[in-house]
Amino acid sequence: MATKSAQIDSTVEIVTPENIAFHYQVAGPFRRLPAFILDLLIRSGVFTLFMIILGLAGALTNLSGIMGAGMMIVWFLLDWFYGGIFETWMNGQTPGKWVLGIRVLSVDGQPINGIQAIMRNILRTLDMMPVGTCMLGLVAMTLNQRFQRIGDIVCGTNVVVEERKWLTGVAKMDDARVAQLANYIPADYRVSRTLAKTLAAYVDRRRFFSIPRRREVSRHLAEPLLVQFGFPLDTSYDLLLCALYYRTFVADRSDDERITTEINTSPFSPTTPTNVAAQASANPFDIVQPQSGK
Amino acid sequence: MKVADLLEQRRKNWQELEKLCEQTQTRRKKNMPPAMLSRFASLYRAACADLALADSYQLPPNTVAYLHRLVGRAHNQLYRSRDFNYQAWGQMLLVDAPRRIFSDRCVQASFVVFWGIFILSAFIAYSNGMWPSYAEDILGDNMIEQLETSFADPINGRNPQANFQMAGFYIQHNTSIGLKCFAGGILVIPGLFVTVFNAAFLGASFGYMARPDIPEGQNFFHFVTAHGPFELTAIVLSAGAGLRIGISWLSTGGLTRESSLRKTAEEAMPIMGAAIGLFFLAALIEGFLSPSSAPYWVKAVVAMLSSGLLMFYFVVLGFPRRGDVF
Repeated sequence: MATKSAQIDSTVEIVTPENIAFHYQVAGPFRRLPAFILDLLIRSGVFTLFMIILGLAGALTNLSGIMGAGMMIVWFLLDWFYGGIFETWMNGQTPGKWVLGIRVLSVDGQPINGIQAIMRNILRTLDMMPVGTCMLGLVAMTLNQRFQRIGDIVCGTNVVVEERKWLTGVAKMDDARVAQLANYIPADYRVSRTLAKTLAAYVDRRRFFSIPRRREVSRHLAEPLLVQFGFPLDTSYDLLLCALYYRTFVADRSDDERITTEINTSPFSPTTPTNVAAQASANPFDIVQPQSGK
Repeated sequence: MKVADLLEQRRKNWQELEKLCEQTQTRRKKNMPPAMLSRFASLYRAACADLALADSYQLPPNTVAYLHRLVGRAHNQLYRSRDFNYQAWGQMLLVDAPRRIFSDRCVQASFVVFWGIFILSAFIAYSNGMWPSYAEDILGDNMIEQLETSFADPINGRNPQANFQMAGFYIQHNTSIGLKCFAGGILVIPGLFVTVFNAAFLGASFGYMARPDIPEGQNFFHFVTAHGPFELTAIVLSAGAGLRIGISWLSTGGLTRESSLRKTAEEAMPIMGAAIGLFFLAALIEGFLSPSSAPYWVKAVVAMLSSGLLMFYFVVLGFPRRGDVF
């Protein structure tokens, strides 16, 4: 809970024994309710199955009493200990939680133990008060930052989201002009850490934006940069940011030479009929390419 | 080195770790080859190192987010929940629980509340002079009628099959009541209410059935004697354990409310475990011995034996040893 954004994004920070702090997103009621409903369905399915098997066995073997006792005990165990047993054996997950990709952890990031698992599931009756409306649990969830219901608070557990697959890597730049424009960015221009983050966030999300929106968003950053680099002011802002991104994350300096020699067309958009060569020659840094710029 | 190259180089490791996470998720730890385990550990450490250096590598934020998730996931596979430790459970039930119960003020308080109201209620319902309509007011006419009809016939055994069924029913029904009583105790008021209500209700039925002018009374006591000690004690214990947690939330003893709650919950668990065990024993007796045609003295002996066992459990096993800090 170091920053404000962590509160908005509902992430919690956990420090591992390896002394690495990593972030988890805690699961809110709308992720946990489907898991609970799924578990409820599984539970009633299993109980129905037991009913049929035990009922048939009772009818066939004339031991209906023992089978009846079995049914009651299965009901009792499923009712009170289903969650506790699964969360112990499946490392903090019930089948429903597994499907929804959420997991119960101690607040300090350690796995939960059997006592915590059983206790938090017994205390669900309290969270579902009054009369099964879950109001107590919901109110408790809104009162803390980890979406803990009363059972979670008592046991020191929270439920976190565990994504299975996630996009990784740098964005692909299909536009050839990006690489070309990147080449014209002054070689001594160092991209600061915050700018690198901003660029990556922008490029990651720009495909969701319309073209006017891209222009609007990138304008604040691109305009001063255009002035700084001495580029024509009608250069596409979006293109400039992409080029900067390309230079920061993708391009290797050794490629620069090759690209310069291959330039035949203008890197600027067709709407900017500026002469590239004139523009490039106006920039002394483009002619002397440092090779040791790694 | 450029970020793209670095990512390309690391991606293989990360994806391998991802795959291993998936495999360890479905497999038991014992069945995994040691080479795989050590590979998993070194990949995890490498991913941790990458995450630690993510900022100075200037990795893009989506990669950092991915790394956070990857490390989190691998962390959960590495530090897994442990299976149930049966030895620890024995220790909890036979050593921790009785000592806690013996010295726990909340269990004592709920003992006093429950039995005080039980006896008072039984006395008022029995005496008939002080408050003539007391039993009817508390129990309601339906309940009294039900009591009278179900104990109208002398108890002379029933179908053994039905015994099993009823034992199962008692385990399910009574233990659920106990667990609800426990959970309600955390909010103090509902817990106390349930305890007081149970005490008054049970006391009134005992007192009413003990009246000399109720002919069904004899059958009633024939039925309840044997399993009474275990069952009533179990109710007191679960109320006490719940109350313990509820009080810890109000009077924290210098801790924050949350950590006080957490600490007490751990302490109250053995008490609840003992209560569940007692509910099971009571249900077995209630299912098999209580409805049987065994003579009254057998049932009385069982009641005495179980009371003696409880005394042994609470006092001999529970007497504070030197060095105990409860």
